[in-house]
Amino acid sequence: MVAISIENVWKYYGETVAVQDLNLECRDGEFVCVLGPSGCGKSSTMRMLAGLEHISAGQILFGDKRINELAPKDRDIAMVFENYALYPHKTVAENMANPLRMAGVDKATVTKKVLDAAKLLEIDHLLDRKPVELSGGQKQRVAIGRVIVRQPAVYLFDEPIAHLDAKLRARMRTELKHLQQHQGVTTVYVTHDQLEALSMADRIAVMHDGVLQQFGTPAEIYSNPVNTWVAGFVGEPTMNLILTEVATEADRPKLTHKGFTIDLDGQLGEAALRGNEKALRFGIRPENLKVSLERSPGAIEGTVYTRQLLGSDLLVEVETGNDHFRVRTSPAFEGEVDRPCYISYDLGHAHLFSAETGQSIV
Amino acid sequence: MASREIVQYDSGLSRVFKVLAQVFLVVYLIWTVSPFIIMVGSSMKDLLEAFTLPRVGDWLGALSFFDFSPTFKHYVALFAEENFGAYLTNSLIASVGSALVAVVLGTSCAYSMSRYQFRGKKDVFFWIISTRMAPVVAVIVPLYAIFRSFGLVGTLPGLILAYTTFNLPFAIWMLKGFFDNVPYAIEEAAQCDGATRLQATMQILPLVAPGIGAFLVLCILFAWNDFLFATIIGSGGAKTLPVATKELIQPQNVQWGKIMAAGVVTTAPMMLLGLLIRRYLVAGLTMGAVKE
Ligand SMILES: Nc1ncnc2c1ncn2[C@@H]1O[C@H](COP(=O)(O)OP(=O)(O)OP(=O)(O)O)[C@@H](O)[C@H]1O
Ligand SMILES: [Mg+2]
Repeated sequence: MVAISIENVWKYYGETVAVQDLNLECRDGEFVCVLGPSGCGKSSTMRMLAGLEHISAGQILFGDKRINELAPKDRDIAMVFENYALYPHKTVAENMANPLRMAGVDKATVTKKVLDAAKLLEIDHLLDRKPVELSGGQKQRVAIGRVIVRQPAVYLFDEPIAHLDAKLRARMRTELKHLQQHQGVTTVYVTHDQLEALSMADRIAVMHDGVLQQFGTPAEIYSNPVNTWVAGFVGEPTMNLILTEVATEADRPKLTHKGFTIDLDGQLGEAALRGNEKALRFGIRPENLKVSLERSPGAIEGTVYTRQLLGSDLLVEVETGNDHFRVRTSPAFEGEVDRPCYISYDLGHAHLFSAETGQSIV
Repeated sequence: MASREIVQYDSGLSRVFKVLAQVFLVVYLIWTVSPFIIMVGSSMKDLLEAFTLPRVGDWLGALSFFDFSPTFKHYVALFAEENFGAYLTNSLIASVGSALVAVVLGTSCAYSMSRYQFRGKKDVFFWIISTRMAPVVAVIVPLYAIFRSFGLVGTLPGLILAYTTFNLPFAIWMLKGFFDNVPYAIEEAAQCDGATRLQATMQILPLVAPGIGAFLVLCILFAWNDFLFATIIGSGGAKTLPVATKELIQPQNVQWGKIMAAGVVTTAPMMLLGLLIRRYLVAGLTMGAVKE
């Protein structure tokens, strides 16, 4: 219920830089995911938002109010901690009731809200237990419960469902998303799971080594990654990123590789020539490739390297000129390992990245 | 956790060892308990009865120790003639008072030592411990001089201060360990729940309570049993039980009955305290229990 602006924020721990010059705008009521691998500075960002770490440089605004100097309790936030941080001496019910008690809510309301949250999280049978008597996933749900019993201006979730089993995680994703939309509380949600980010976020901030790589809607991030790092991190199975050389033949640009050549035209062709680069990375997602046992014009020739079943789909890895293409296809595909096969592609879904900088050039 | 029972298999040697262990335990039990029995027994005997000894070799004669008509006249005399009521009060005030002061100051100091990083922290910590390294006898004379110039000699506040000087470093040292065991994240969570910094700290106090409780008892024990400070700094206005007991030994007249009774009076409160908080004490001293 407040917009958040993170302006030129840095975080140092002594000499180590955890967050570099971060700029982010979360609109009022927006659900923003901070996505990145372990150690990229997600928790540091979160803790600066919560007021648990000093902001080394820059400022954070909630609405138009600068919050750098405010204590956590004055920021009107609620946070789920990565390591749960439950009160070991309190029961589940008391743990969840704590924020309400602090706010001086009357007893009957506290009991009711705790019970409602516990039911939603399926922990209502555990209310009298102490945290030591809970499994990791149950503790995590108590930690979520402690946060959703009240309605602050900002929710901060630091990998809140990382320790749940797949089924419960899927349910929690929906529940949290529903709750957030229902309450309209501005939410910053940290995760290293790109699927979680894609499925829940209004916008995703992808971070790597303390640097914000890209900030955009899940669709933008997925279909227009700004560099090879984002392209490789988002999407599962990961995007094919094959190093190729640029050549021109009769003024028409093409990408050459030991195993294949790709003729470029239109937008891609212009882009490939514009930078005057010798080498480019050709990027295309496995689901945008087709594999077949029959030769077709322009198809890339290779041999089947492995087949992996992904539930409803089949992931085929095809070897061509020492590189591998991952192709997502139907399990009906009959190519066995070592059989020759042919990959066809639609250049409309292809990406080109500079081999040197990794930046997208389209 | 693995089951509590330790799997054991018998061998000839282990059986011999078992017997030896039991013999040792019996001897140890007699060794530690008999002084108490003699003390309690003698405190309720007339002087004559107290000194009847069996002939050498007459083991059954040892039973004559229990053959007496109990009398409480020594206890009555202690409180009526020797003013032991006042000394008991002095002992209580000095020990409980110093324990409370040490725990309150020690808890706050240990908390900051555990939570905050500052330059020279290690040196400060070492300095705190090092104040305990000098033997009491070595510092007691200068301490006496200082205390006298402040008019603290022979007063209860002086005695409390003296005990605190010695208990505080110990308190800080021990309690820091307890705070180190409590993850800071819990306080952070409390702050996010809407607590002030101080309220957040209060929230974790129940987690170190066993440690604080155990330490309180150790402080009380130290002060209660102390003799050196009590004779030198407390002498005069703030006489405690051990000093008063010692004074029952006069050059011409060692009052055995009263000494034994005084021994019982001095020991009983601490034994009682020990029994009351036994579970607490053990829990406190073996605390690894505060994990997330
Ligand atoms: N208290 C600290 N002191 C020194 N360095 C720290 C501290 N906390 C974090 N760092 C460093 O800062 C960087 C970012 O850490 P951060 O905890 O923000 O990562 P993260 O993205 O949350 O990772 P994860 O997904 O593993 O939780 C890491 O390189 C880490 O080693
Ligand atoms: Mg983290």
